[in-house]
Amino acid sequence: MAQENPGPGYAHPGQWGLVAVAWLLVGIPLLWGIWTTLQKAAALFE
Amino acid sequence: MAGFLTRERIVAGPGFNRWLVPPAALAIHLSIGQAYAFSVFKLPLTKAIGISQPAPGDWSQPELAWIFTIAIVFLGLSAALFGRWLERAGPRKSGVVAAVCWAGGFLVSAAGVRLHNIWLLYLGYGVLGGCGLGLGYITPVSTLIKWFPDRRGMATGMAIMGFGGGALIGAPLADLLMKHYATPTSVGVVQTFVTMGLIYFVAMMAGAFLFRVPPPGFTVPPPVRRSRALTVEHATLRPPLITLRHVHVDVAWKTPQFGLLWAVLFLNVSAGIGILEQASPMIQEMFKGRVAASAAAGFVGLLSLFNMAGRFGWSSLSDRIGRKRTYGAFFTLGPLLYVTLPFAGRIGSVILFVAAAALIITMYGGGFATIPAYLSDLFGTQFVGAIHGRLLTAWSAAGVAGPVLVNYIREYQIQHGVPAAQAYNVTMYLMAGLLVIGFFCNLSVRPVAERHYMSEDQLARERAPAAAH
Repeated sequence: MAQENPGPGYAHPGQWGLVAVAWLLVGIPLLWGIWTTLQKAAALFE
Repeated sequence: MAGFLTRERIVAGPGFNRWLVPPAALAIHLSIGQAYAFSVFKLPLTKAIGISQPAPGDWSQPELAWIFTIAIVFLGLSAALFGRWLERAGPRKSGVVAAVCWAGGFLVSAAGVRLHNIWLLYLGYGVLGGCGLGLGYITPVSTLIKWFPDRRGMATGMAIMGFGGGALIGAPLADLLMKHYATPTSVGVVQTFVTMGLIYFVAMMAGAFLFRVPPPGFTVPPPVRRSRALTVEHATLRPPLITLRHVHVDVAWKTPQFGLLWAVLFLNVSAGIGILEQASPMIQEMFKGRVAASAAAGFVGLLSLFNMAGRFGWSSLSDRIGRKRTYGAFFTLGPLLYVTLPFAGRIGSVILFVAAAALIITMYGGGFATIPAYLSDLFGTQFVGAIHGRLLTAWSAAGVAGPVLVNYIREYQIQHGVPAAQAYNVTMYLMAGLLVIGFFCNLSVRPVAERHYMSEDQLARERAPAAAH
């Protein structure tokens, strides 16, 4: 079955530029949040 | 416009990359995850009239605490009620509705603060926002499971990790905005609510419009490296708890397996809340003079990070070792770690205390993130969004019962002369006990009885409306 009908996501995955942009758009705010939290958490080990 | 949102209109075309779906899901979960950071508004809201300090007529902390409680209750209710609709409507339509509810909740709450009417906050952030939370939470789950049949745990873990990470963004963002908007006559909450509502609306709409559902017959490449949660085609390597068939949502919730998983989630969440609720005062009182308020705030932040990491880490691991073993690990390690907390307090080891609490919180988050994959393993993928929605009532119940239980026990002990630092010990032992019960619930989970599965005809009928358009 997998060989007969692999589906578009498998057969020809494209749009890698869009994938990178999408991940950057969610990744940057998340990394900012993680960085801010780590700075606060540093007070625990001072 | 309505047709543009339907499931039939968002079936992926050739060349669509399934790795676009997780960031779409993250955009929604990072937005609604702000709920975990609602406490940053509490202090400013107690000074909405007095500005520099609470004045007569200002809201009290207990009054404000109800906002979050109502939101969590409506999260569970909306997820349970609209899960079935979501399966038919598709993730784009439900994502749009979630965005409208969540952003609308902020706007109504802003009006509530402006008019100083607490009921508008209950209605806005609590009811409307809570519905946005519930719909937004379950929107990407079944879509991700269908796109990643080979990595169900990892895929849903990525989205649900966003819910944990939302607080990491929401808290400092709210802080920045309130400082920016604050004036001698305003604490800046109104403008902050409006700004955040608009930001989250844009982010969630972008996520909703990025969603695509896989075409009928979508499969993934034959696996090269073996994982426990395999695609349905690789039945020979499939563990017994992963079904190839589907159980209808109206049947699934009446099965013992649903009840057991409801208890598993309820107990895991209740125990985790025991730590989250008391993290800041607990570490300060158990290590008096050694941990200041600023360090305690850092501890809470650290727990948020581990909460997020656990969601991705444990759910990804569950793809390799299986869901039952993953929960088995939570319910075996968890009690030991809870017992370690009072011990760390007795021997004065802050490091041991922080390490144990951080590990506990990874399992709290991991419990949330692994449950959709556990459900799809047991009940199939056809109704997993709707079944997951109904299971989330366990979260609502734990969100109300957990804090009440924890606070009641603590108050009772203090009233009976137990020193504040030691009053946490019994709570921790109780949490350990809850996890032991969870261990046996998880142990009792067996494959669903044959009679509960849908026949091929029933399945075809369920899928027919989507195919007919």
